[in-house]
Amino acid sequence: MIRHVVFLVLLVAGCRAEAPVPSRSVTDDLGRTLVLPDRMERIVTLAPSVTELVVAAGAGHLLVAVTDADDFPPEVDSLPRIQALPVNREAVVALAPDLVLASEQVNDPRDADALAELGIATWFVRVDSLSDVPRALRALGDLLGTAETARRTADSLEAIRTRLRSSLPSGRPPTVLVLIDDRTLFSFGAGSYVHEMVALAGGRSITADLETRAPRLSDEFVLTRAPEVIVGSLGDDYRIERLLEHHPTWTLVPAVRDRAVYSVPGDLLLRPGPRLFAGALLLREALGTGPVPGAGSGE
Amino acid sequence: MRLRPSILVLAIAVPASLVAGLTLGSADVSASDVVSVLADRLAGRPPADPVNDAIVWSLRLPRVLLAFVVGAGLSVVGVAMQALVRNPLADPYVLGLSSGSTAGAALYFLGVVPLGALPAMSLPAAAFAGGLLTLVLVYAAARDGSSVPVTRLLLAGVAMSALMASLTSFLAFVSPDPNKLRAVLFWLLGSLSGASWTVLPGPAIVLAVVFLALLGLARPLDALLLGEDPARSLGIPVERMKHVLIALAALLTGTLVAYSGAIGFVGLIVPHAVRSLTGVSHLRVLPTAFVGGGLFLVWSDILARGVLPGQDLPVGIVTALAGVPFFLLLLRRNRRPFA
Repeated sequence: MIRHVVFLVLLVAGCRAEAPVPSRSVTDDLGRTLVLPDRMERIVTLAPSVTELVVAAGAGHLLVAVTDADDFPPEVDSLPRIQALPVNREAVVALAPDLVLASEQVNDPRDADALAELGIATWFVRVDSLSDVPRALRALGDLLGTAETARRTADSLEAIRTRLRSSLPSGRPPTVLVLIDDRTLFSFGAGSYVHEMVALAGGRSITADLETRAPRLSDEFVLTRAPEVIVGSLGDDYRIERLLEHHPTWTLVPAVRDRAVYSVPGDLLLRPGPRLFAGALLLREALGTGPVPGAGSGE
Repeated sequence: MRLRPSILVLAIAVPASLVAGLTLGSADVSASDVVSVLADRLAGRPPADPVNDAIVWSLRLPRVLLAFVVGAGLSVVGVAMQALVRNPLADPYVLGLSSGSTAGAALYFLGVVPLGALPAMSLPAAAFAGGLLTLVLVYAAARDGSSVPVTRLLLAGVAMSALMASLTSFLAFVSPDPNKLRAVLFWLLGSLSGASWTVLPGPAIVLAVVFLALLGLARPLDALLLGEDPARSLGIPVERMKHVLIALAALLTGTLVAYSGAIGFVGLIVPHAVRSLTGVSHLRVLPTAFVGGGLFLVWSDILARGVLPGQDLPVGIVTALAGVPFFLLLLRRNRRPFA
C-alpha cells in the first residue's frame, strides 16, 4: 500500500518536473510581454467589452467568470461574477485562471502587476478604432486557440464595414450629434471610434474636433452647430419632449425640429467591441442614408 | 466714508460683468449681435436671428443672473455663518447642507428615492429635502435644552457632512448606470448649466428675503462677533438670534444648492475678501459681499463656459482655481487677523 502511495507521489512529482507545460511568449496591446501556456483552459475577463470580444472570437466556452457589469451575450449570464472596479483580486486568484483579459479603457495595469505577483498573467486589449475590433478578435483567436472562428468573425465584421463604406450616398452628409446622456450632454471627442461609426452610417459627427475625450457640451454649442440628427443612448421609448424639458432652446435645433432624434442601446455606442458594427448599421438606419446592400446580422 | 469708491467700482463692474456674461461663451456671438438681440427683445420685435436670440436671451441671460444670485446668496450666508460660529473656516456648507443636498440628489438620480411619497418629486426638491433633513439632524444633535452650543453645532455639522458624503459615494459606487454617475459627479461639483427663466424666480425671491432679513440683523451680527456673552450683555437675545440665523442660512443655501449643486469656495473666501476691504461692520460687509460674491460667480462661470471650446466645465472647479490665488494674495497683503 505504502509503496503504491510512494509510487504515485513520485509519478505526480515526475510529471511536474519532466513535462513542463509548453509555453510561448506573446505581446499584448499595451506592449507587455507575457509567457503563456500554449493551451488556455480557464480565462477571466475584467471588462464587458472584452467578454464580448472573447465570445465573438469563439472562446466563450473558456470563460470561468466575468465582471459584475457584464450583460452580453446571454450565455455569460450563468457565469460567476467578480467585481472589476476595483478588481477583487482574491476572487480572481480563487478561480485559478490561465489568463486574465483586461481592457485598456477600463482596467488599471497596476492590477495586472498585482496579479502577476500572484502568478496570474493579464493580457490587455485596446480598441480605439473600428479596425481595432477585427484585429483584437484575430489576436484573441490566436491566443485562445480559436483562430479559425475568430478569423471568420473578424472577416464578417470587415465585410460589414466595406459594405457600409461602398454604399455611402453621394451628397452632403447630414450633421450628427451623438450623446451619451441627455441631461448632462456628455459626448465623444476627438479620436473616438464613434465618429467613424457616424461616417460609415453616412453622417458627419459634429464633436469630432473637440479635444477632450468625453466632452461635456454646452447648449450653445449644440445650437450653433445645429445637428440635423441626434443619436444617443437615451433609453427605451424615448420622447423628444424629454430632451426639450432639459434643453428648452433646442426647438431651434434642426434635428429636434425635424424630430430626427433616435435612441440606440447605449452598449452599441459605448462598448468598444464587436457590437460597434451593429451600432453602425443601426445609425445608418436612423440617418436614413440608404440601405446597406446585403447587410447581415451585426452580432 | 471708505465705502464710496467701492460703490463706484461696483456700479461700473456690475453692468460690465453682465455685458461680458452675455458676450462671452462657448458659441461665437458678437457684441453687436448681443445688442441686436436685446434691442429686439426690449422692443418686442421677433428676433432677427433665432439662434442668437436663444443663446443670448434664453441661455446666457438667465445663467448670468442665476450666477449672480447664487454667488451673492452663498456669500451673504457665508458672512452670517462666520459670525454665528465665530470661526474663519465657516462657510454656508459647514452645517452639512451641501453634502445633505448632494446625497438627496444622488438618491434622486439613482432612482432610490421612494417616489410614492412625493409623486412630483423633482431634483431640486430631492436636494432641498436632503439638505434640510441633514440640518435638522445636526441641530437635534447639537441642541442642549434651549441653547445651541456653537462647538457642538460645528462638530455635528462636520460629522453629518462626512456621513452624507459617504452615503453619496456608496450610492455612486453601487450604481449600475454610468450615465447617472456622471450626472451626480457633475452636480457634486456644482454647475449653472440648468439655468433658465423658469428656474430663476425661486432662488431670486429667497435671496431677496434672506438678504433683507440679514441686513435687519446687521447690528446683532456685529455684537455676535464680540462673543456670545458680550453680545448678551448688550441685550442681544443670542439663542434666538442663532435659531433665526440657522433657519435663514438653511433656507437660502438649501434653495441655491438645489438648483446649482454644491458650488464651493464662494461662501468661504468672498466674506473674508470683503471684510479685508470694508472692515467688519455688517451693514457694510453684507451689501459688499452680496455684490462681490455675485460678480465673483458671474466671472467664474464665464471662465467655466469659455475655457474649453464647446464645453461646459462644472463652475465649482473654476471657483477654487480662480479664487484661491487671489485669496492667498489678499491673505498675504492683509496682516490683520481675519474674521
